[in-house]
Amino acid sequence: MKLDDQTFRLTDAGKLGMIALVIGVIGLVASGIGFTMDKTQFFHSYLVAFVFWTTIGLGGLFFTLIHHLLHPIWSVVVRRIFESIMVTLPLMVIFFLPIAFMGGLSELYHWSHADAVAHDALLQEKVGYLNVPFFLIRAFAYFAIWAVLAFLLYRLSLKQDDKHHPELTGRMMAISAPGMVLFALSITFASFDWLMSLDPHWYSTIFGVYVFSGALVSVLALIILVSLSLRKTGKLKEIITVEHYHDLGKLMFAFLVFWAYMAYSQYFLIWYGNIPEETVWFAHRWPGSWKMISLGLVLGHFVIPFVLLMPRKSKRTLPFLGVMAFWMLIFHWVDMYWLVLPNLHHETVHLSWMDASTLFGIGGIFIWWFWRTLAAHPVIPIDDPKLDESIRFVNH
Amino acid sequence: MSERVAGVIAQFEDPAALLKAAERVRDEGYKKFDCHSPFPIHGMDQAMGERRSPLGWIVGGIAVIATLAGAGMQWWTNGVDYQFVISGKPFVSYQAYLPVTFAVAVLTSAFVSTFGMMALNGLPRWHHPLFESEQFKKVTDDGFLVSIEATDRKFNVEQTSAFLELIGGTNVEVITCD
Amino acid sequence: MDAVTAEKTHVDAPLIQGNPTFHDVSEKISSLIEGKTPPLWFIAIGLSSSIVLLLLGSVGYLLWEGLGIWGLQNPNGWGWAIVNFVFWVGIGHAGTLISAILFLLRQKWRTSINRFAEAMTLFAVICAGLFPAIHVGRIWLIYWIFPYPTQYLSMWPNFRSPLLWDAFAVGTYFTVSCLFWYVGLIPDLATLRDRATTKIRKVLFGIFALGWRGGNKQWKHYELAYLLLAGLSTPLVLSVHSIVSTDFAVSIIPGWHTTIFPPYFVAGAIFSGFAMVMTLGIITRKIFGLEDYITIRHLENMNKIMLLTGMMVGYAYGCEFFIAWYSGNEFERFAFINRAFGPYWWAYWSMISCNVLVPQLFWFKKLRRSIPVMFVASIFINIGMWFERFVIVITSLSRDFLPSSWDYYRPTIFDVTTFIGTFGLFLTLFLLFVRFLPVIAMAEVKGVLPQADPHHHDTH
Repeated sequence: MKLDDQTFRLTDAGKLGMIALVIGVIGLVASGIGFTMDKTQFFHSYLVAFVFWTTIGLGGLFFTLIHHLLHPIWSVVVRRIFESIMVTLPLMVIFFLPIAFMGGLSELYHWSHADAVAHDALLQEKVGYLNVPFFLIRAFAYFAIWAVLAFLLYRLSLKQDDKHHPELTGRMMAISAPGMVLFALSITFASFDWLMSLDPHWYSTIFGVYVFSGALVSVLALIILVSLSLRKTGKLKEIITVEHYHDLGKLMFAFLVFWAYMAYSQYFLIWYGNIPEETVWFAHRWPGSWKMISLGLVLGHFVIPFVLLMPRKSKRTLPFLGVMAFWMLIFHWVDMYWLVLPNLHHETVHLSWMDASTLFGIGGIFIWWFWRTLAAHPVIPIDDPKLDESIRFVNH
Repeated sequence: MSERVAGVIAQFEDPAALLKAAERVRDEGYKKFDCHSPFPIHGMDQAMGERRSPLGWIVGGIAVIATLAGAGMQWWTNGVDYQFVISGKPFVSYQAYLPVTFAVAVLTSAFVSTFGMMALNGLPRWHHPLFESEQFKKVTDDGFLVSIEATDRKFNVEQTSAFLELIGGTNVEVITCD
Repeated sequence: MDAVTAEKTHVDAPLIQGNPTFHDVSEKISSLIEGKTPPLWFIAIGLSSSIVLLLLGSVGYLLWEGLGIWGLQNPNGWGWAIVNFVFWVGIGHAGTLISAILFLLRQKWRTSINRFAEAMTLFAVICAGLFPAIHVGRIWLIYWIFPYPTQYLSMWPNFRSPLLWDAFAVGTYFTVSCLFWYVGLIPDLATLRDRATTKIRKVLFGIFALGWRGGNKQWKHYELAYLLLAGLSTPLVLSVHSIVSTDFAVSIIPGWHTTIFPPYFVAGAIFSGFAMVMTLGIITRKIFGLEDYITIRHLENMNKIMLLTGMMVGYAYGCEFFIAWYSGNEFERFAFINRAFGPYWWAYWSMISCNVLVPQLFWFKKLRRSIPVMFVASIFINIGMWFERFVIVITSLSRDFLPSSWDYYRPTIFDVTTFIGTFGLFLTLFLLFVRFLPVIAMAEVKGVLPQADPHHHDTH
């Protein structure tokens, strides 16, 4: 097989990119109209969409880092895909701007109101951390970390395509090791800031790991879907084989169990301790139809995919795996929705069209950008020293 | 003398030779044969035309039963038969049943995996005609052997021995038992 | 770091050095069992079994006299026994992690260390299980924890109690680890059976090898069974220490009740387990001349895992501290200030230095590959992880919600002798293992030699 630059370029990339861009623009315009109609609803829906796509981007960054640290063989063939997902992170800073500067903070975060803090002894205790300037400084620090890591690692990866650079593997590893530390800290505090502080009285030490575990499941789901769609166009049919899908499926399975482990740890310890200041968070996710969402999350994000993905065959039947990947993406969104919206609609679930418009708005731009990155260069790292081994890889 | 032929064995040089031999034996139409090696050789199942082991489904099925039994035990003992209040928890606290349910399910599955494997392999079986052969002892060290059982429909002492020699086997030995 | 050498050593260094043949592997590993017993072994086991006598004495006196001989008091209802229990269970995590998780991740380097790491797991869990058993006071009634129908009691155990989950989790873990270990041993026992020259070896290895014939029709089921056991052990190993963590975390005591406890305990367990594997591995390797089998590459990989898990533990310490402040809860804040600057500040800072600072050495390739450095570091980590459990158990208990009941916990001599005694038990079992069973999984090592790949010659 010829592994050169031209064989693995997407030729008809423009079309899908354009579709995504159009959907994105329509979604954003519609959301803009929503913004003028109901700011509160808009920002809550927007935050869900924002964290949904950002966590997927962070999942891409995590897989890139872990790839350089562990040098697994099987993942070489899908490396360009998660690298391109990672490259969406610098874009997400633009989508953060409305939250930061267009009134998002005061709509979303109770602690940002000075008069609320004045009457709340607990919030006064936390004011050293939960205040607007520090919140913004932190947010931009997270984005700076992510953007720098994404640019550095992506640039080196492209450089590897030009000609054989054996030293790059070592250099990418040298960046990834401290990168992983920064990643762990930034995703933890980003989840505390953006999601946990929506209910500023509530706290849970596992919260950052919980958000991280959801990011892992969703990025694997997206990698599977992208690989399958490339396969449809005839690209990579012999490169990303059923063996690789089997592994991706196994990993998605492992991480959805990991997610369930985190979710259960959080719920179970709070349920058992039964201290009102902690249980209040789950109590907010129980009234009316919120109960259905809470239980639906248990079933949809864990029980059902756990049972369905268990047999070997289901991970090797590609259309089925694709359906399951799509399913996991849906439930990642439900998860994010479940984290955010109970702070707005206390009584019961109240779906809004803006939930969809913001999701597709940010998502369209995300996919367009991702696809453009993927298409600009060969879709597999053609000079990775382990590529050949990776293609021939089989599950034992 | 009630001694009868149990089968024929032959040695091969390395894993690759054994793999090729397996394909030849399979293509020749033998069914009751086996390829012995000190460690599992990848691709051997295909070379021999073996199907995947059904053990996964057996364990999976029993794991479901064990899960239900584990949960049921806790529900019945603490929720129905002997109710008492502890730390203000409901009698049926399904949240708290998870750890033990999980332990019961894993424990049962591990037993089924181990003993299921032994049953499928016909183990323990301390006496076997192959153990009569001195060269068979090499299997657990560095030997790669093919054995064809006399009960195979195509088996014929001379022809089978000649066939093993033809495909590259050395030290062809007829195994007998009484 | 020199990237080119890094590349070379990470990717190309052979798993087993010295290019042994399949026969060399059987010869080398089996000779450790078949050869003459080294005099050093007799000295070692003499020493360790006399420490077991110390354990027997301490436990015997405890049973005779009662729990009062320990340093327990109000409000410190849990003392060294629980610290030691968590310490030993934690050490028992590396073996199954290496066997199961690294197997699923296809990390082939595990084959050189999995056998003795698994053995270590079993022995550590035995030491761990001893403590809660003798802590119940009336050990002769310990079977009451099992849900068995009886007219005489006409009641059932409390399944809502974390202490009962512990019994189930640790019991399951021990049993499954035994099965996993034994299944892994079967092909090697067959090797020893076929090599046996004495009658007694022939019979004993023959019985336990079950009549293994190494046919592919057997390997097929065997490999799937091994995979299934690995698949079962992986969530199990994560669940065991999670459940141990619930002993603390389901309570409402500040410093104990925090949601990150389950994964944090698991990371700590892996961390301490690897440290113990490292300590014993370096000694075993030296004494038996296994340098070609347990190479610097293996040790370096383990150091990387220790660095990673050490960082995770550090993350959890930091996260707890931050959230304690962030909670705005007076009790939470106090619990953590008290840990770092209260009467047990020395324990806290020992823990931080050993568990967070020491592994930072492993960022440097040179130190990661230096045997004296890693040996000393692994011992420090073992100590640090003991202190971690001490900090958790004692600092939160000794200063609870009611300042009038605060008290300073001091262990008695019997706490100390019991703990030291378990080291004797652990070492005795380990020495028996290295003398009578193969310390390295021969069949698995043969399987990762380059010539084991049937396509080996095609690519060269």
